[in-house]
Amino acid sequence: MAATTESVKTDAAEAPLLNKRNLILGVLLYVVFYAWVRWYEGVYGWSAGLDSFAPEFETYWMNFLYIEFVLEVTTAGILWGYLWKTRDRKVMSITPREELRRHTTHWVWLTCYATAIYYGASYFTEQDGTWHQTIVRDTDFTPSHIIEFYLSYPIYIITGFASFLYAKTRLPTYQQGLSLQYMVSVIGPFMILPNVGLNEWGHTFWFMEELFVAPLHYGFVFFGWAALGILGVVNTEVQALTKLLKKDLA
Amino acid sequence: MSASQSAVRSRAEAVKVSRMFDWFILWAVFWVVLGGYHIHYMLTGGDWDFWSDWKDRRLWVTVAPIVAITFPAAVQACLWYRYRLPFGAVVAVLGLLLGEWVNRYLNFWGWTYFPVNFVFPSQLLPSAIALDVILMLTGSMTATAVLGGMAWGLLFYPSNWAVIGPLHVPVEYNGMVMTLADLQGYHYVRTGTPEYIRMVEKGTLRTFGKDVAPVSAFFSAFVSIIIYFLWHFFGRWFSSTEFVKAA
Repeated sequence: MAATTESVKTDAAEAPLLNKRNLILGVLLYVVFYAWVRWYEGVYGWSAGLDSFAPEFETYWMNFLYIEFVLEVTTAGILWGYLWKTRDRKVMSITPREELRRHTTHWVWLTCYATAIYYGASYFTEQDGTWHQTIVRDTDFTPSHIIEFYLSYPIYIITGFASFLYAKTRLPTYQQGLSLQYMVSVIGPFMILPNVGLNEWGHTFWFMEELFVAPLHYGFVFFGWAALGILGVVNTEVQALTKLLKKDLA
Repeated sequence: MSASQSAVRSRAEAVKVSRMFDWFILWAVFWVVLGGYHIHYMLTGGDWDFWSDWKDRRLWVTVAPIVAITFPAAVQACLWYRYRLPFGAVVAVLGLLLGEWVNRYLNFWGWTYFPVNFVFPSQLLPSAIALDVILMLTGSMTATAVLGGMAWGLLFYPSNWAVIGPLHVPVEYNGMVMTLADLQGYHYVRTGTPEYIRMVEKGTLRTFGKDVAPVSAFFSAFVSIIIYFLWHFFGRWFSSTEFVKAA
């Protein structure tokens, strides 16, 4: 009886396998933040975002750009630094239950990455199409670019690398080297950001027209394919989880 | 990890944990594939997909299926060959359509004020269902590429006919004959996309008259077969679980 009570107490004190609060807050963070961003675009895109030489453009859009640059560098530094600094130096000696718990946390990170990828690659990229096909640009830093290239892309890059770092520093599965498809699924979409250099250089030749299927845009396409690396990550995870759960599911 | 220790306390907990990961995986695969598929599709066939006046009988019918069969083939290569799940193409296409519909409504309509019946996305679901069913019934990559790829291309135009048909009705406007879709394009001006870069019905294929769409669909089906093969192997590579040593 005493032993049973002790066991129950231990269970109650133990952290749950899935921290639902982190999962919900993590996804909500992106959804609520981007809802606000979309509201900002709606209000200040047309009223202050048409002429980059106008003073209100500086106020509402260039200042937005400067602020997001600072916040992104700061966030990346703090988040990646924290994950690296607090890495587990004895990762191969953790218990199976702790390993399972960490896999769950890892999937919270991947869930956040999936959400961030959606907003960057789908929502704000196609939005950029309708803006530039409608409005003639006179700068690289248009309202849609300031959000798409310089906000939504860095956010999924920060999230993706954080997810990768978590796996690399805390999970035994990822100690056997570098997971090729994990790197593809994180570094590939990351390369979309440097590809902006090619894109904007090209647009200095074709400044007035926006043809979305123009070969100039194919760099984005190529690196977008890398998102499929998530399939390899899933397979790696399924193999690891199968090992952890197999005998209990048999 | 000690072999004598277990990660879970009971079989029931193991089942529960397994189901939890199913949902995690479904969420992540759905949204990441959506993102990758959508950026690929919008930048290789997007202009034909964005606007009804680009949805012609020739280039839309040709380009859209060819560039769209890529991700479904790759996702099938993972979900079927690893897990025997026969819905890879439908999952990919549902993701693409969701991403497109959200965008067309909230941004094309909500930000730049184009009516939704001018910017609706192309319909790909019947083609995706055919691709998945053929894979499930045959269990063969080759048969799916040949029969499924063919079906994928041929089904595209009929799948979209109910929606695009009324917009292809001819009208006379200022002494010129055009379609209702053309008229939409002239009225809803896209300043950054002038008329001279609209790629529709170009070339002598128009001399085939009513046969333009079937000929285009047949050509599209042919290329879709080849693209399916190619992307099946891309999908296999992306599904690999290889580790490399740090450089």
